[in-house]
Amino acid sequence: MSIKNNSFRLFFLKLAAFFCIVFIADFIIGNSLKKFYFKQDSGFDYLTTYAIEKTKADFLIFGSSRAVNIFNCDIFEDQTKLSCYNVGRYGEPVFYHYGVLKAVLKRYTPKIIILSFDAGNFSKNTGDYDKLSVLLPYYENHPEIRPIVELKGPYEKLKLLSKIYSYNSLLLPIVAGNIAFNQNKFLNSNGYIPMDTFFSGSLQTFDYTNERELDSIKINTYKHFIQDCIKSNIQLYIVCPPYMVNQIGIPPSIIAAKKIAQQYNIDFFDYSKDEFYTTKPQLFADYRHLNPQGVKIFSNAIIEKINYKNQFIKANK
Amino acid sequence: MLFNSFHFLFFFIVVTSLYFVLPHSKRWLLLLLSSCYFYMAFVPIYILILGFTIVVDYFAGIYIEKALGKRRKFFLVCSLIANIGILCVFKYYNFINDNFSFLLKGFGVSNPIHYLSILLPIGLSFHTFQAMSYTIEVYRGNHQSERHFGIYALYVMFYPQLVAGPIERPQNLLHQFREKHHFDIDRVFAGLKIMIWGFFKKLVIADRLAIYVNDAYNNVAQQNGMTLLLATIFFSFQIYCDFSGYSDIAIGTAKVMGFDLMTNFRRPILSKSTGEFWKRWHISLSTWFKDYLYFPMGGSKVSVPRWYFNLMIVFLISGLWHGANWTYIIWGGINGFYLVFAIITKKYTDKINAFIRINKFPRLKLCSQILVTFLLISFSRIFFRARNVDDALTVIKKIFTFKGTVFNYGTAIILYSVFAILFLLVIEFKKEFYTGSFTLSNHKNFWVRNFYYSFLVIIIVLLGVFDGGQFIYFQF
Repeated sequence: MSIKNNSFRLFFLKLAAFFCIVFIADFIIGNSLKKFYFKQDSGFDYLTTYAIEKTKADFLIFGSSRAVNIFNCDIFEDQTKLSCYNVGRYGEPVFYHYGVLKAVLKRYTPKIIILSFDAGNFSKNTGDYDKLSVLLPYYENHPEIRPIVELKGPYEKLKLLSKIYSYNSLLLPIVAGNIAFNQNKFLNSNGYIPMDTFFSGSLQTFDYTNERELDSIKINTYKHFIQDCIKSNIQLYIVCPPYMVNQIGIPPSIIAAKKIAQQYNIDFFDYSKDEFYTTKPQLFADYRHLNPQGVKIFSNAIIEKINYKNQFIKANK
Repeated sequence: MLFNSFHFLFFFIVVTSLYFVLPHSKRWLLLLLSSCYFYMAFVPIYILILGFTIVVDYFAGIYIEKALGKRRKFFLVCSLIANIGILCVFKYYNFINDNFSFLLKGFGVSNPIHYLSILLPIGLSFHTFQAMSYTIEVYRGNHQSERHFGIYALYVMFYPQLVAGPIERPQNLLHQFREKHHFDIDRVFAGLKIMIWGFFKKLVIADRLAIYVNDAYNNVAQQNGMTLLLATIFFSFQIYCDFSGYSDIAIGTAKVMGFDLMTNFRRPILSKSTGEFWKRWHISLSTWFKDYLYFPMGGSKVSVPRWYFNLMIVFLISGLWHGANWTYIIWGGINGFYLVFAIITKKYTDKINAFIRINKFPRLKLCSQILVTFLLISFSRIFFRARNVDDALTVIKKIFTFKGTVFNYGTAIILYSVFAILFLLVIEFKKEFYTGSFTLSNHKNFWVRNFYYSFLVIIIVLLGVFDGGQFIYFQF
C-alpha cells in the first residue's frame, strides 16, 4: 500500500476543512438567495411564484411565449366574468406547465384552463429538460412538483443538496426583481405581456414533413395534464394559435396532440394554418406571436367557442 | 463521459481511490480498464477503432526497432498509413467525396460514390496523433519500443487526455506508467486546484459565453454587425476557456494520481504577436506539427520562399486536422498568412515603430500588441466558428458595416459574460505580469488558499452553466 496513514489523515482533514467552508458559504448564500427570490415583486420569476403559490383565478392560461403574448386576460375576464390569470412562461415546454398545474391543483381548482400548444411541442430536444431549472426554487416546498423537476437529469436530487444550486444563474434576476427593475413591463398584466410590434420581413417556409421523432416523455406529460384536468372537473381547451408562415405538411406534434385530445374528448382548436390570420400580417408581431390587434380578435374568437360549448353543455343538462 | 458531468465525478473518485489502494503492479490494469470504460461511455463500438490502431502501432514499434535499413521505414510507413487511413475514412471521406461531387457537377456528371453515414469517433485526431508520435519517435531512435502491450495501450488510452489531449510524447508519458506513485498530499491538492480552475473556465466562462455565441452564429442572416462582432469576441474567450479548461481538468486529474502531462496553454490571450500566440496555444499540437512536419520539411533553414511555403503547409494541415470543412482550412490559411506577412513586413513595422516612437511607451506598446494579436486571432476564428464559408463571409461583411445595436438575449447573460471575462483577464494578467506579488491561489496561509478555492466552487455553483454540454474540441 502506498498510502501513508499520516498523509491520508491530513488529506481528509484538509478536505473536510475545504468542504466545511463550501458548505457554510453554500448554506448562507443559498438561504439569502431563497429569501430574496420569494421577495421579488416583478420579473418572470415573480410571475411563476405568483402562478404557483398565489393565483386563485377561475380561468388559467398555460403555455410558452405564445400563451404569454397571445392570451390577454383582461379580455377573457370582461367576456366570461371569471377572474383570469396567464400562468405561461417564455420558452417553457409542457413539463413546466404540468408542474405549475400540479402546484395550482394542490391549492384550489380552477374552472377553465386553456393550454396553448405549439407546433414543435413534442419534438425531441434535450434543452427542454434543462429549462426545468426554473422550477428548482420550488422543489423544496412543493413536493408535488418534484417528480417533474427530477426529469431534468438523474443527479438532480444530489445537486439539490446545495442550497445555491436552485438559484443558479438567478443572482441578477433576483436583484432586478427586488429593485422593481421590471415592474413597468408586468404592471397589472395578469401574466399577459403584449408584443406591441408589427410583422416585418418575408414569409418563411417551414417544412414539417421531415420533423424529428417525438418525445414520449413529453407526450405522457401532456396526457397527465389532460387526465389531471379531467379528474378535477376542469373545462380544458387546447389551443394552437396561428403562425404567420408558409407551412408544408402538418407538424407531427399537432397531429399527435389532436389525437390524444380526441381520445379524452377534449376540444383542440387548431388555428395554426387558419387563413383568416395567415393572410393578415398586420395582426402579427412576428411569425409566432400576434400583436395586441391580433390578440383582441383571437381572444374573442376563443371566448366565442368556449361560450358556445358552455351553452351546449347547459342545454344538454 | 464528459468531464463536466456527475458521472465523471463518481468515476474520478472511484478510479483515483482504487489507484492508491491497489499495488503498483496492478495499477496499469486499473487505468486501462477505466480508460476503456471512459471511452465507451461515448459510443462503445468505437473502442474497436482505437483497439485497431493500438495493435498496429504496438507491433509497428517493435518491428521498427528490430528491423534494419529500409525495412524500418517500411514499418513506419505501414503504421502511418493505418493511422492516417483511419482518419481519412472516419473524418475526411465524406468531405473528400463532397468536393469530388462538386467537381463532377461542374462537368455535369453525378457522383456515383456514396456517402458514409458514420459518426466521427470522439477525439480521433488526438489519439491518432499521439499514437503516430510513438512510432515516429521509435523510428528516430529517440525512444525504445514498448514491449508491454497493456502499458502501450494505456499510453494511447490514458483517460484524462484520451479525447482532447494534451497530445503526449512517449518520452514524457510512457515511463510514468512504470513509476511508482505514492499518495502525495501536496500533489493531490495541486491537481485538485488545477481541476477546479478548469471547471471554472468551462462552466462559468466558456458555457456562459456559448449561450450568446451559439444564438448569434446559428442564425447569422438574422443578426446585425454589432451582435456578430460581440459574438466573435465572446467566441475567442469561449474557445480558450473551453479547451484550456478541458486541458486543466485533464492535467489536474492526472496529477492527482501522480502523472505529469505537458502544459497545453500558457495564457495565449496575452500574446504580443501571432507567432507568439502559436507558442502559447494548444502547445502539444503546435509542437507536434513542428517536430513531425515543419522540421522534416526543412523548417526555416531553407530558402525564404520555401520557408514561407513550409509555414503555410503546416497551418493548412493544422486547419484540416481540426475538421473536414473548408472553414477550418481557410482558418489555417489565414493564420499561416499572418506569420508569413509578419516575417515579410518586420523591417517596415520596426521602422514605423521607430517613427511613432512607441518604444518610449512600453506599456502602451504591450497593450496595443496584445490587442492587435487578439483581434487578428479573433478574426480568423470567424471561419473556425461559422457553419460554412458563406456564413463566415456574411459575418465578416456584417461586422465591417458596423450597423445595428448589440442584440440583447438577456441582460443577465451579457452581464455574467462580461463578469466572467473580466475575472479571467484579472487572473491571466496577474499570472503573466505580476508573478511575484500577492497571490490567493498559492498563498502561504492554508485558510486563505482554502477560502479562495471555496470561492471558486461557490461561483461555479452560483453562476456556472450546468447544461452546457460537451467540449468544443471533442469533435476533432
